[in-house]
Amino acid sequence: MQVLRERLLGFLFPDGTDQWLAILRVGLGFQVTFYSFSLRNDWNYLLSGAGNGVVSRNLAEALLSVESYFVPRLGWLATLAAPVGLSEERVLSVAWGCLLVAGCGLVVGLACRFSAILAWFLQLCTAKSGGFASYGVDNFMTIGLFYLMLSPLPDRYSLDWRLRELRPKNPQLLGFWRRVLQLHLCVIYFFSGLTKCLGSGWWDGSNVWRALVRPPFNVIDPEILVRWKYLFPAAGISICLLEIGYPVFIWHCKTRKIWLIGICAMHVGIGLTMGMYLFAFIMIILNVAAFGPDLVRAERARISLRPHEVIYESGG
Amino acid sequence: MAWLVLHFLLIISVSCRETLRLIAQGPTILPSSFKSYSQKAETTVSIAVGQHLSASHPVRQALATYLHISGIEASYGYFAPNVPGSYKLVFELHYPDRRVEYALPSVSSAAAAFRIAGLLDNIGRTRFDPLREHLVKVMAQFIWREHPDVETVRAIFGSVSLPSVREFEHGKRESYEFLYAYDFSLQNEPPKPKNH
Repeated sequence: MQVLRERLLGFLFPDGTDQWLAILRVGLGFQVTFYSFSLRNDWNYLLSGAGNGVVSRNLAEALLSVESYFVPRLGWLATLAAPVGLSEERVLSVAWGCLLVAGCGLVVGLACRFSAILAWFLQLCTAKSGGFASYGVDNFMTIGLFYLMLSPLPDRYSLDWRLRELRPKNPQLLGFWRRVLQLHLCVIYFFSGLTKCLGSGWWDGSNVWRALVRPPFNVIDPEILVRWKYLFPAAGISICLLEIGYPVFIWHCKTRKIWLIGICAMHVGIGLTMGMYLFAFIMIILNVAAFGPDLVRAERARISLRPHEVIYESGG
Repeated sequence: MAWLVLHFLLIISVSCRETLRLIAQGPTILPSSFKSYSQKAETTVSIAVGQHLSASHPVRQALATYLHISGIEASYGYFAPNVPGSYKLVFELHYPDRRVEYALPSVSSAAAAFRIAGLLDNIGRTRFDPLREHLVKVMAQFIWREHPDVETVRAIFGSVSLPSVREFEHGKRESYEFLYAYDFSLQNEPPKPKNH
């Protein structure tokens, strides 16, 4: 029992560097920045309440209140700003600006913790208030920012570390938070793969075709796509196998590289062929932060061993 | 450690619940007899995330808050088990001089277009008629502000059927199937739905 407990603790609290955290921070910083810029012209259009927007923000927030009163939303900010005479439009603009600043703060690593909390809060407000118009990228950004703000910041590549000489309070938790992210990704891909496997369309490739011609993801002309129809079944089965096999093959050192490259290639493909750049980017960031640093270290270790191998071989 | 167990218990419960819901709603490659089992299992799993408690119960509120703030309230079955068709909303703008124009909900970026598509999917999927009507009305109001001279607006909501590869090769293209229409006028009258 004691051995099992020690092994479990060893698994949950591994030693490690803060390289993964730097990747997560910078990656999420870029993601938040791109997210803000991508919605710049439609921000008020999507998030205005009281009949000024195309999406019923007030209704989304009212429905959210049925579930919980305590989930952050843009309506809170509008209510807080009303007594000081700030219009809703101004509040939304300020929220957009703050989200952008938080994203830039994360990229350079300035006021890391504050930037992470601010980005998480504002992105959550945006996702929840635009509830009817939210999609997968919002969930994954919330997940990433939630783990980032709880992780031991700052990392050694941030300006906080280099200029302000700030150090994390609980560096021993670095490995733990990385493990949480790794396990979460395994659950995500397993269930994503499992639900896809249940549909016949992923086995015969028809779902690949439908995903690529479905508006608004139809960025490639179907006349061009149809020439590649023999690849659709292989693509559909590969997606199912990559996703459902992720929790098994991503842990083994011999298959990790293949699986990580495969998953990242799948997301690059989604980004390029369906125009879902933000979705592709966040998934790649989460994957590379969770499992990428080990690959680099393994590669370095292999390279450093080469002279010994050569000596051994020539000696033999 | 307790937090970690609870956190992953919630993630797995939500994912299992949504997977069971997909099986119950079908169609999947599983035999249809699985549907009733899935429905029962989904009800059982829902208990784990406090769905059996009253909406105002503090435990349910606390769980819902945590699920939302950590981003784990939704499952990860995107485009699963099969890729659904999409929806389309067209506004027919009637001017006092009997002129008729057509307008679509438009945005200026691809990122916002995905959100509008998501909104239309939500409108199409909801089984609650008043909610669908309200969401269409909000969009119609917005269109009205962009075309203030309009006398009446008819919102026509339909589904887009996608052709299979073989159908596409034989010349079939995506088709539009009428689902609902709502008429809105300046007098703030309640919309008159015309289903199917």
